[in-house]
Amino acid sequence: MDRVDINTIRSSIERLNALPTIPNILKKLLKLLENPSTSLNDIGHFISHDPIITTKVLRMINSPIYGFPGRIYSVNQAVILLGLNVVKGLLLSVSVFDLMKKVMVGLWEHSLACAITSRLMAKKKGLKEPEESSIAGLLHDIGKVALLLQFQEYYDSVMNLAEKKGVVIMEAEKEIFGIDHAKAGEWMAEKWSFPKNLIEIIGYHHRPNLSKIFIVETSIVHLADILVRARGFGFAGDNSIPNINDNAWTILGFSGNDIKDILKELEESMDAANELFIE
Amino acid sequence: MEKVIIVSKDEHIKKQIEKTIEKEFEYEYLDDINHIFNFFYDVIPDGVIIDIQNQDYSLFNIVNQIKSDPIFGSISFIAVMDNNQPFPETNRIFIDDYIKIKDIETDLCFRLKLSLHKSRRITEVNPLTRLPGNISIDREIQDRLLKKQEFAIAYSDIDNFKPFNDKYGFGRGDEVIKATGRLILNIVKIREPNKSFVGHIGGDDFVFIMNPGLIADASQAIIHAFDEIIPTFYDIEDREKGVIESIDRQGNKRLFSFMTLSIGITHNKHTQFSHYGEIKEIASRMKSYAKRFKGSCFKVDERRNQQK
Repeated sequence: MDRVDINTIRSSIERLNALPTIPNILKKLLKLLENPSTSLNDIGHFISHDPIITTKVLRMINSPIYGFPGRIYSVNQAVILLGLNVVKGLLLSVSVFDLMKKVMVGLWEHSLACAITSRLMAKKKGLKEPEESSIAGLLHDIGKVALLLQFQEYYDSVMNLAEKKGVVIMEAEKEIFGIDHAKAGEWMAEKWSFPKNLIEIIGYHHRPNLSKIFIVETSIVHLADILVRARGFGFAGDNSIPNINDNAWTILGFSGNDIKDILKELEESMDAANELFIE
Repeated sequence: MEKVIIVSKDEHIKKQIEKTIEKEFEYEYLDDINHIFNFFYDVIPDGVIIDIQNQDYSLFNIVNQIKSDPIFGSISFIAVMDNNQPFPETNRIFIDDYIKIKDIETDLCFRLKLSLHKSRRITEVNPLTRLPGNISIDREIQDRLLKKQEFAIAYSDIDNFKPFNDKYGFGRGDEVIKATGRLILNIVKIREPNKSFVGHIGGDDFVFIMNPGLIADASQAIIHAFDEIIPTFYDIEDREKGVIESIDRQGNKRLFSFMTLSIGITHNKHTQFSHYGEIKEIASRMKSYAKRFKGSCFKVDERRNQQK
């Protein structure tokens, strides 16, 4: 299969308008919305467990229409500023692609586990806004969704290649697309006026040492991604575990016990999340 | 050129509409109204021509959702109806005008223009928040007084807004005002969807009117949301310090803490007011009282038999 031209990839990703999500989650969310005693915080809490709906909500609140581009990071805040009607409208515009379900289920679980782990690490590091790390963990692989949606056949061969050669998915992506999902995600986040720190974390989560301003936050998501893969939650497109970046490991300075604590809490949270989201 | 979205599945109608408006408007098609929010990311259209033949409650519902949000409320919706279709009740679907299929060719273009002009002319709204302004606020209060309705009215004001505006500039100040308007509106509307009212007096002053039993709880939630969201409008270095250096009214440099929200509330449970000015005056005094307290807070006037 020929390589795709890099400009074609970029413009296809920037043209993406609707992202698919998992129908089960949508059904539950609509049920929640119908209940008059549901508060905006309940809705925000629920949405922040799904990368696709989170992306939509953040994209909308950071769009020029609302006039605070690049500022709102938290789903709860976005929901309060958008209001119930707009959130409902956004949910209705979520399209469901059957072809995505299989891959997405694994990716969704992987993303959710990364969100939880990133939040736990941010708390341990004493960061002021652990919620921000949680969102970054949730959305770090959004570039995979974009590539999958726009170039499904090519992405299939990416996954085959990764399996055949036993390399991590980003190496295979680079071979076929010339870029990896981190770059794809960065383009998408830029196009959608996401906050700067989010763009940087998505773009550099595999190379945290290159991150310019938010190096601690980027290192957190980098390490969370690897821990979650190693622990075996979800599926991120391949079965390999990438190496931990030395620099990121030093910056975070976690001890063996810290990591044990984090993994233990992650498992408990995932059990609770599974009850909520997976039938 | 003004932009219009045409929502229809009927190819014949789409062709007809296209023929009559193609020279005067920019337009795009949409098959499924559920996807309309995907348009709103980049531009808000000026008008929507929507085919309501054989349509049901769910379409009405989404039109109403859009029209009841102030940001999208000025979009004109024109319904395309079957020649023999009965008119829907006006309170079931918030459309601005209608057209029968037989009249599309002769009338649609002119109707659309009229409708767009009208929506620009009549909305007395604050251009920044698109919330109703003073004339509408006064009318709303006077209506309720005339109907002898029991209601509570809250005045809110942002503390330390001026130093923020001086330091970061008007653009950032406007963002804060927009965010404040949005959060007040959304928190009030989720607690009392139909009978509440939110208006923008001007500058950083807002008004909301609610059922007296609901207003304290809503004010608490508003303050909480304000305190959560406002720090994101400061630069990262300032967020770490928790204060900003700016200039006070005397022109001296000094440190200011972050913006907070003061809300003053009064109601007509114990006092009869006959003029909107009287109850506004007391709400405004309560707001000044709330401003004396440090941090965000709300204060409810519980005195009986007011001195007017």
